[in-house]
Amino acid sequence: MSCNGCQHLDELKKQHGTEPYKIIYSHFIVCKSADARRRKANQCICYVCRLYTPRLHACMSCVYIGCYGRGHIHEHAYKKEHYLAIDVCYGVVHCFACQDYVYDKELEEIARASTPKLALGVGIKMTFLEWEPNDQEIDLLRRNAKRRRVEERSTIGLRGLINLGNTCFMNCIVQALIHTPVLRDYFLADKHNCNIHMNLNNNNQCLVCELSQIFQEFYSGIQAPHIPYRLLHLVWTSARHLAGYEQQDAHEFLIAALDLLHQHCQATNGNVESGRPHHCNCIIDQIFTGGLQSDVTCKQCNNVSTTIDPIWDVSLDLGPASPATNGSHSSSLCSGYSNSPGNYDPTSLIDCLKRFTKPEHLGSSAKIKCSCCHSYQESTKQLTMKKLPIVACFHLKRFEHSTGYHKKIATYVSFPEELDMTPFMSSSRNNNNGYSLQVVQEAARSLSCENKYSLFAVVNHSGTIECGHYTCYVRQHKDQWFKCDDHLITKAMPQEVLNSEGYLLFYHKQILEYS
Amino acid sequence: MADIQERKIKDAQMRAQINQKLVETGERERLKELLRTRLVECGWRDQLKQYCKEVVKQKGLEHITVDDLVSEITPKGRALVPDNVKKELLQRIRTFLAQQSN
Ligand SMILES: [Zn+2]
Ligand SMILES: [Zn+2]
Ligand SMILES: [Zn+2]
Ligand SMILES: [Zn+2]
Ligand SMILES: [Zn+2]
Ligand SMILES: [Zn+2]
Repeated sequence: MSCNGCQHLDELKKQHGTEPYKIIYSHFIVCKSADARRRKANQCICYVCRLYTPRLHACMSCVYIGCYGRGHIHEHAYKKEHYLAIDVCYGVVHCFACQDYVYDKELEEIARASTPKLALGVGIKMTFLEWEPNDQEIDLLRRNAKRRRVEERSTIGLRGLINLGNTCFMNCIVQALIHTPVLRDYFLADKHNCNIHMNLNNNNQCLVCELSQIFQEFYSGIQAPHIPYRLLHLVWTSARHLAGYEQQDAHEFLIAALDLLHQHCQATNGNVESGRPHHCNCIIDQIFTGGLQSDVTCKQCNNVSTTIDPIWDVSLDLGPASPATNGSHSSSLCSGYSNSPGNYDPTSLIDCLKRFTKPEHLGSSAKIKCSCCHSYQESTKQLTMKKLPIVACFHLKRFEHSTGYHKKIATYVSFPEELDMTPFMSSSRNNNNGYSLQVVQEAARSLSCENKYSLFAVVNHSGTIECGHYTCYVRQHKDQWFKCDDHLITKAMPQEVLNSEGYLLFYHKQILEYS
Repeated sequence: MADIQERKIKDAQMRAQINQKLVETGERERLKELLRTRLVECGWRDQLKQYCKEVVKQKGLEHITVDDLVSEITPKGRALVPDNVKKELLQRIRTFLAQQSN
């Protein structure tokens, strides 16, 4: 195999330049228009077999098309002495004189430049491209010849965290974040280019940099527990409401941490919004932000008004819903997307999600102004997932804070290792296609992994609301679970994880779009 | 005998027709891209690449041709495609055909 073409290709290029390649490439390999595709569908068959067969090649001299498998393109090549042909599937050039594919930088460049056009033409958003190191990366690889391979049984990435005085609420969230696969890939690829020193006055420390540092610590190979005092200090100075040596709520900490990370990611852009997730392109929003659709249907005129809000987590009610809890607001900063219709006790995550997405009747005490009737009307409200986040975080509302009393709901709620979010999506709500088609599509969807998630971390709270302790289960590799109890890391069986009470459940999307 | 012959011809015609539809609509490219993505995701590509490297090393870079590689790799490549990937693709094709005949 030659990387520098061959004498036959050189000869052809000398006579005709790259034009023959370009023409064949644009007609048979990438078809930008429907017209071109129709032509390809009709003409692109082996001239001998009269069929579309695998590995068709088009002659570069006369555009004769023949199959490789039965040797019809070979026959043509030798008979006519047209030695060069292009594989119509991949656009690579075969030389029948040299009896091998030939690689030519110039032609490869033409092919590379036209691939995105093909993708756009048929509605492929982004195609997978293999990583190619740039000059700087090649240099780095050369200078650091030692490679570390993460083996299947490797425990690298597992490290305990010292409790600095009731800081288990922080430790368990750090463990969950450290074991978030996409976040790990981001930090281990050294993607955070920090500009924060110039932008945050008084506070020249960046939480993203600190998290990046913690990733380095976890993957350094050191086994001794890490002491997260810098992180704690940073959290105390940045999120005052979490300061002090008291036990804090792990969910509240998670939201505060995501918000701070998001703010510090965005600090260079000048327009920092805080308080809620939004349409922002920072790594935190790329991973955690989903879109929650709310449809309010007027009972009078059936007019539906739809809004979509970005969310970082889904807070799910437990216990029987009393009418009084309707429209309750979570105390935390920027979650509190909850919905409480139904009056049965959910006993599984699926139950909770069904309840969450069930149409809720807003009674006469909660009339909403209808834009159609121009008056206040009773309505029903339904929440569904418009856009799924890469990491779905479910918060089981085990702590009830009502006036006069605080209590913990310890009901058993089962949760699956694999979760399909399809039934809870807005598209399922709107599904009103033709019946037969819908059935087929549903079958396709249930098979497809598009909306499927895998459990990768579970935060648990033990004890009472006043005196409790947080621990976290994390998944390594595909199916190995570990329990992180501050500085202690122990192996756990999957069943143990699934049987645990569950306070925060972290699910990771099985399939990511390349966008 | 005639029946079998006839069926073979019918099958071939059907296949040609389906293929034409797939190409015309661009679905073929989308399927190809989906397949490529799935094969990358499940590690098939890496596995096969590794195997190719071994074969090349064994035979020597100077002596091996693409034909050699293709005949060495194809059976293994086919066998390694996970069942759920095949199922997903089959279902996608079914859906496509159902849409086309609507
Ligand atoms: Zn020719
Ligand atoms: Zn042929
Ligand atoms: Zn040649
Ligand atoms: Zn930074
Ligand atoms: Zn952001
Ligand atoms: Zn109305």
